[in-house]
Amino acid sequence: MIRHSNQRSGVRMSKSVRRIVATAAGLSAVAFLAGCASNAPQDTWQPKGPNAQKIDDLQKPVFAIAGVVGIIVFAAIAYAVFRFKDRGQPIPEQTHGKPVLEIGMTILPALILAGIGVFTFQTIFDLAKTDDTEMVINVTGQQWWWEYDYPVQEQYGITDPIITSGQLVIPTGTKVLLRETSRDVIHSYWIPALNGKRDAVPGRVHYLRLEADEPGIYAGQCTEFCGLSHAVMRMEAVALDKDDFTAWVKGQLSLAASPADGTLAKEGESVFLNQCVRCHQVNGLKKADGSPAIAAPEDNVWSGAAPNLTHLMSRNTFAGASWDLLTKECRKDVWGASSEEFGAKYLTGVTEECLNQTDLRRWLRNAPAMKPMYADPTKLEPTDGKYRGMPNLGLSEDDIDKLVAYLATLK
Amino acid sequence: MFTNGSKYLIGVTGFSALVLVLYIALVDGAVGGAVALASVMMAVGLLAGLALFNRDGDVQVGDTAAPANAEPVGSSLWPLVTTVGIVGMGIGLITHEIVFLLGLVALVAGFVEWVIQGWSESASSDRRYNAAVRGRLIHPLEFPVLATVGAGVLVLSFSRIMLAISKTTGAIVFIVVGAIVLAGGVLLAVRPNLKKSMAIGLCAIGAVGIVAGGIAGASAGKRDQLVEANEEDHFAHKECGEEKSKYFDFNAEAKVSMRSNPMATIEFVDGKLQARELGVDTPTTKVTVQKSNNIPVIFRNKTEGEHRLTLFYGEKEVQEGVVEELHNCTQMIEEGEEQMLIIRIDKPSIASEKPYKFYVPGVEDQSIEVFVP
Repeated sequence: MIRHSNQRSGVRMSKSVRRIVATAAGLSAVAFLAGCASNAPQDTWQPKGPNAQKIDDLQKPVFAIAGVVGIIVFAAIAYAVFRFKDRGQPIPEQTHGKPVLEIGMTILPALILAGIGVFTFQTIFDLAKTDDTEMVINVTGQQWWWEYDYPVQEQYGITDPIITSGQLVIPTGTKVLLRETSRDVIHSYWIPALNGKRDAVPGRVHYLRLEADEPGIYAGQCTEFCGLSHAVMRMEAVALDKDDFTAWVKGQLSLAASPADGTLAKEGESVFLNQCVRCHQVNGLKKADGSPAIAAPEDNVWSGAAPNLTHLMSRNTFAGASWDLLTKECRKDVWGASSEEFGAKYLTGVTEECLNQTDLRRWLRNAPAMKPMYADPTKLEPTDGKYRGMPNLGLSEDDIDKLVAYLATLK
Repeated sequence: MFTNGSKYLIGVTGFSALVLVLYIALVDGAVGGAVALASVMMAVGLLAGLALFNRDGDVQVGDTAAPANAEPVGSSLWPLVTTVGIVGMGIGLITHEIVFLLGLVALVAGFVEWVIQGWSESASSDRRYNAAVRGRLIHPLEFPVLATVGAGVLVLSFSRIMLAISKTTGAIVFIVVGAIVLAGGVLLAVRPNLKKSMAIGLCAIGAVGIVAGGIAGASAGKRDQLVEANEEDHFAHKECGEEKSKYFDFNAEAKVSMRSNPMATIEFVDGKLQARELGVDTPTTKVTVQKSNNIPVIFRNKTEGEHRLTLFYGEKEVQEGVVEELHNCTQMIEEGEEQMLIIRIDKPSIASEKPYKFYVPGVEDQSIEVFVP
């Protein structure tokens, strides 16, 4: 009777074990297959520049060593569990310690770690070098977008500073030094294909080297939790070959031209002057009296800044690089372009046919509904009445039509 | 039959539930408070459940407890403190929030002490045992709170004294008080047999002296220089010209933590101004800084005499029709010295007809152009 009961128990256990093993195997397979995704722009295993390559050269052998160690440890545990499980046998003789084994098991991991440490430190110091810098870009994080400004560097045609956001544009084969800081809380800048992560901390300036081998767009993500919309604080690094970069610089140095009188865009300019210029600067925009229209985000936004929109349509994204300014087809066309064709396609910017009006209109209609922000006017007491993010401006559909027409002229 | 402890915990659970319902009904949109109250309710409810299940919610239940109290209990101050708290909260509602908060503190403290005292007095018929039971429970809470309050009162009193007396007298008072504390400490260390009451007496006299001095200092108000500086806004308004400032130049502005990575280092070398930006080795006369951000800059004077670095960053209409130039500057520093300057420019360069620039007052033709994109 007892024997029968044990047999039944054994059958139940083996079924449970089988279920656990099957579940674990299924989950492992899903996790493993997820690594094969073709559309994975933030894949850390696909370096596209020498800095990311250095990290890759370190992480692959370390991963392999860790994998071997892990397999040995798991195999040893599995052996001990199954070989010595309780079958009613007498308890073996208990001895105190095994000095040779203990010392060996201390020294061996220490040696492995020391070996890895040497290469890790070498990589860290390599990535921290700044004496070979060829270009400098200031990167400023704020809730929840990145601003890039390019100091005067005449060797690249940057005769006046350039300011942009969302997409960082760099020349290929150039050692670019990012000087990162933040206007509000700690953020972290990460373009996996080009380098590792680096925190952007208020009041401090941190370096990050970037260099891209080939023209293309490389996606990234803020990796330090920074508040409500951290998950949609994205960024893209756009690498252009040197001629295309020069052309991009030339375009960025120009001022925005006022639309022709009597057009819908001209009416949109008036709406922009009444509403948007409180926070958003458009270089070249003039008030009715002819004086420059200067934005005052410091009076309205907690971080003191809002994206400069002078060349909005030269970028492919908006709202912290979280939504595309290009339609799906046009975006696919740019992202999928070959290295040779990429520059020309990117520099075309957002044409009328390619403008993703759906998302842009949704944004203008009610921005906080698309991207969670601290933008409820009744709850701004902790920030002295200043917004964190873009509020719902309550624009009419007519105003939205006009604004879209105006924004489309900001090439 | 419910024990007293269980009844108490059930009561608090019910009270928490009632407060939670009222909170949700009366306070609009404050999710944090509702969650906190719900947590309290659930925690106390759990304790009530445990007490009911184990029947150990009262000190009367147990092998070690003495028979029920036969000796009359003493008087208690805590009902009075609780009442003062309730009254204080009521007065605070119509006068000032600090009165309300003090009332709330008194109410909570009085209520907790009252409950603990009542609980301990039913422990046994032995008052000393009851006092020990109470102490074991409440002293770990009472002592730190009293020590914090006492230290706070002493610090506040001492600060009032130091703000009331002149700077020179302040230094003397600081030295004398420090010497007395040191002497007292040495005395206690070398004479361990000193009567405890005498040591407590000395400390009490010192504390009373400081508190009395603090009251006198608070009554006398701050010294004239501080009042004048506050009224004339000396702390905010820097004089950034060629001459030494009357107030600003006395102490160096040296924020050590910021020195590790300034955006730019600006040197005044043999009468020439040059900048080195972070991460760029070659010197420059053009610096680009981010808008609306605190940017640390280091100034080094390597020219004979005292000089300061001044930043011009546009104009601002301070009153209708009155426009004032915006400047920020270091203090005058001697040759070989350096100083940190935190700058913040809210408007881009295109907002100003005149370019933004760093310059050294009194030195012509030497400037670093500042771009704000």
